[in-house]
Amino acid sequence: MNILGISAHYHDSAAALVVDGVLVCAVQEERLSRRKNDAAFPVKAIGWCLDHEHIEPGDLDAVVFYERSMLKFERILTCALRAFPRSWRSFPHAIKNTLGEKAWVRGIISAHMDMPRDRILFTDHHASHAAAAFLTAPTRRAAILTADGVGEWATLTTGKGERRPDGRADITLRREIRFPHSLGMLYSTFTAYLGFTVNEDEYKVMGLAAYGRPTLVERVRKLIRRLPDGSFALVPEFFEFQTTAECSYSSKFLDLFGPARHRYDPLDLESPEGLRFADCAASVQRVVEDILVDIASRLHRETGLPDLCFGGGVALNGVANARILAESGFERVFVPPAPGDAGCALGAALYADRIYFHNPDREIPDHPFWGPAVDAGVLARAAHEDGQAVEECDDARLIGRIAGDLAADRLVGWMDGACEFGPRALGHRSILAAPHGIAVRDRLNRDIKRREEFRPFAPVVPIEVADRFFDVPRGGARLARYMSGVFPVRREWRSRLAAVTHVDGSARVQVLEREMAPRLHTLLEEYGRRTGVPVLLNTSFNVAGEPIVTDALEGYTTFRRCGIDVLVAGRTVVTKRAAALKEAEEWSSNSEAASTVG
Amino acid sequence: MANVTRGALLDRLMRPVHQWVWADPDRRLRKLLTFAEVETDGGRDILRAAEVTPDPLLRRLYLEHAIDELHHGDLFRERGTALHRARRTRRRVILNGHPLPGGHGLDDLSIDGEPDHRLLAFLHVAEKAAAGRFAIYRELVDDDPRTRSIFEEILRDEVFHMNYTYTQLTRVSPQGYRHHVWHARARRLWNRYLRAAAAMAGLLGNAMLTAMYFSVLPPFAWLAKRAEQRERTGWRPIARERQTSPRSQY
Repeated sequence: MNILGISAHYHDSAAALVVDGVLVCAVQEERLSRRKNDAAFPVKAIGWCLDHEHIEPGDLDAVVFYERSMLKFERILTCALRAFPRSWRSFPHAIKNTLGEKAWVRGIISAHMDMPRDRILFTDHHASHAAAAFLTAPTRRAAILTADGVGEWATLTTGKGERRPDGRADITLRREIRFPHSLGMLYSTFTAYLGFTVNEDEYKVMGLAAYGRPTLVERVRKLIRRLPDGSFALVPEFFEFQTTAECSYSSKFLDLFGPARHRYDPLDLESPEGLRFADCAASVQRVVEDILVDIASRLHRETGLPDLCFGGGVALNGVANARILAESGFERVFVPPAPGDAGCALGAALYADRIYFHNPDREIPDHPFWGPAVDAGVLARAAHEDGQAVEECDDARLIGRIAGDLAADRLVGWMDGACEFGPRALGHRSILAAPHGIAVRDRLNRDIKRREEFRPFAPVVPIEVADRFFDVPRGGARLARYMSGVFPVRREWRSRLAAVTHVDGSARVQVLEREMAPRLHTLLEEYGRRTGVPVLLNTSFNVAGEPIVTDALEGYTTFRRCGIDVLVAGRTVVTKRAAALKEAEEWSSNSEAASTVG
Repeated sequence: MANVTRGALLDRLMRPVHQWVWADPDRRLRKLLTFAEVETDGGRDILRAAEVTPDPLLRRLYLEHAIDELHHGDLFRERGTALHRARRTRRRVILNGHPLPGGHGLDDLSIDGEPDHRLLAFLHVAEKAAAGRFAIYRELVDDDPRTRSIFEEILRDEVFHMNYTYTQLTRVSPQGYRHHVWHARARRLWNRYLRAAAAMAGLLGNAMLTAMYFSVLPPFAWLAKRAEQRERTGWRPIARERQTSPRSQY
């Protein structure tokens, strides 16, 4: 049975293909269209998935959309009515936006793919999140928690999943909290207040939080009431997101927290104003963590299960995930590599396969590499034509050579096999660097990533030695498999891992098993032999504002215009020539002068 | 070059409007930040062209071009940010959300699947138009030497881009290059018409929906508010049948 899952129209659209119960490929539209967080109907992603398996749209047994679009429209209309007459400005925009395209999903899919309408199915948004979290996790029974900004009406759900002895899988979501009461929207409101982009920069709030103290927790608690049943409710007068798309906080919110930061204002963490913003970030982070831990603890007591599957955009909050693991009573927490809306494409396809069609459960390979593969030949040809130094090496020589480059503080663009599905670079589309000195971190920030100084870089470490460098608790390796948890760097290693240690001594570490990315694992071991520290800085292979690179030429053009010294794709190694190096340095120094925030 | 840097006839006729825009510090700031977005998006589109072209020479030239455009975006952003920081009184309307609406990068051009000759012709026409307009802007910001010097630097690049795109167009399409340039001009004009028509339709749609909002919605709004009062907050049970209904969009 061939089932295609699709997520689209809000942010980060994607497609995923499940054949006979097993995921065979999945890709976000942005990776192919090259427009970051592309929310358009994922024509390219669908086309790639079908081409990858050599099937035609007519061969699909079902196309499953990740949410119920009319139910979402009902929510938008109801909110506009409830906010009457304050919603008069946003009403025309919301109606045009929704009725223009988003509400007619069945027709759009049918038209794009020439599919009979009865083969187009729908799942609940949070059921898609739940399926992406549970049906990809190696567990028989688990509690399920999903949390995001909003789906149709639900913003947070709890339930449980089970793989039964008869081979069937079952997901039951029992309870939900409904819009406008949303942890995701609370966090996003602070994201907007702090001058960052909503639905994109939430992780900056998390990074900024480490610089502040949660001194404003009581004020944040005025925005969100805890209810006796363990749920919560936002206090509406502090928010505007239910009435307008332009600004998510109200004047009362500003009375409570002071003036908002504009996106072009500097964020100077040594000034009182900068510290106030950091304190805001720390406070909302603390409140969201506390609520999540409390809800997860109640869920643990209620289900008595040792495992939790956590999905939805809120599950990208690695600090909160680590606290859930430490304090809720769950022994293991599973967060999929794409817990956000892109992952819903996969969740929708799996949900239809297991729940709608009652197909027997099948194990999903436990890795994130479901996208297009890199073609080293294309890189070699392009680099040759450009007069760059190209080498073809066998694996042993290549690993030795790259380990040497890294030990000499060179920055390496690393492309290997299929690209990751989800927002994290987990070793197939990464920029690697030595983790020791802050000079490397500053160079990465200045020459390549061009991002705010307060944002930390993540380390990758082989699972066999992770405990030596990081204080990963029992069950933490699972969270760290997909960089979904933030854990302390052991105190004695912090100075030698300065480039990947955040200001509070933590790191969003990736713990790597050899089976998941064998070449990177070998590289880590070789680097460890040379330096005594088998840890590398691992950041996504992209420049600010662009999606992570997918194919060899995208990697090559990125390599050419920024300060990466060495580029690897498969067994091809390209080293920047002096002239090109100078050019890239000029670009970097121009860029440095123009970097915006901070 | 002299002809280009005088600006197109339409831009010269529009000079009073341009003057009105650049004379006001808020509008100037907004314009610079808009340019930053447009140049950056354009740079990314050209970068994409470098990734998809099969022609090695064009790949190199597109890459240089993309680097220039991204750099221009940075220059505009840097200047806009500096002006923003220097301003003490701010008009709220300018400082919320994105500076101005507009197409993505190269006029909503789809790079994938576009043959090189069409892209080169399009780039040539776009760069020529931009060079003419920037030449006028340069004169209008005489009171602001830093902004003027940015326009001067960019103008030099735009002239280079204009020239290389034309030279390459004659190389890749020696027979039909003139036709491609005219076609690109016509297409640009058509895109402008489409954009203006869409904006007009948007305004009309807004007006109709706003009228409907105040005339039709009040009784429904009253009902919705009453229903909201009866609605309880907190946990709600999820009906099992909702989760197992595959064909419903509701």
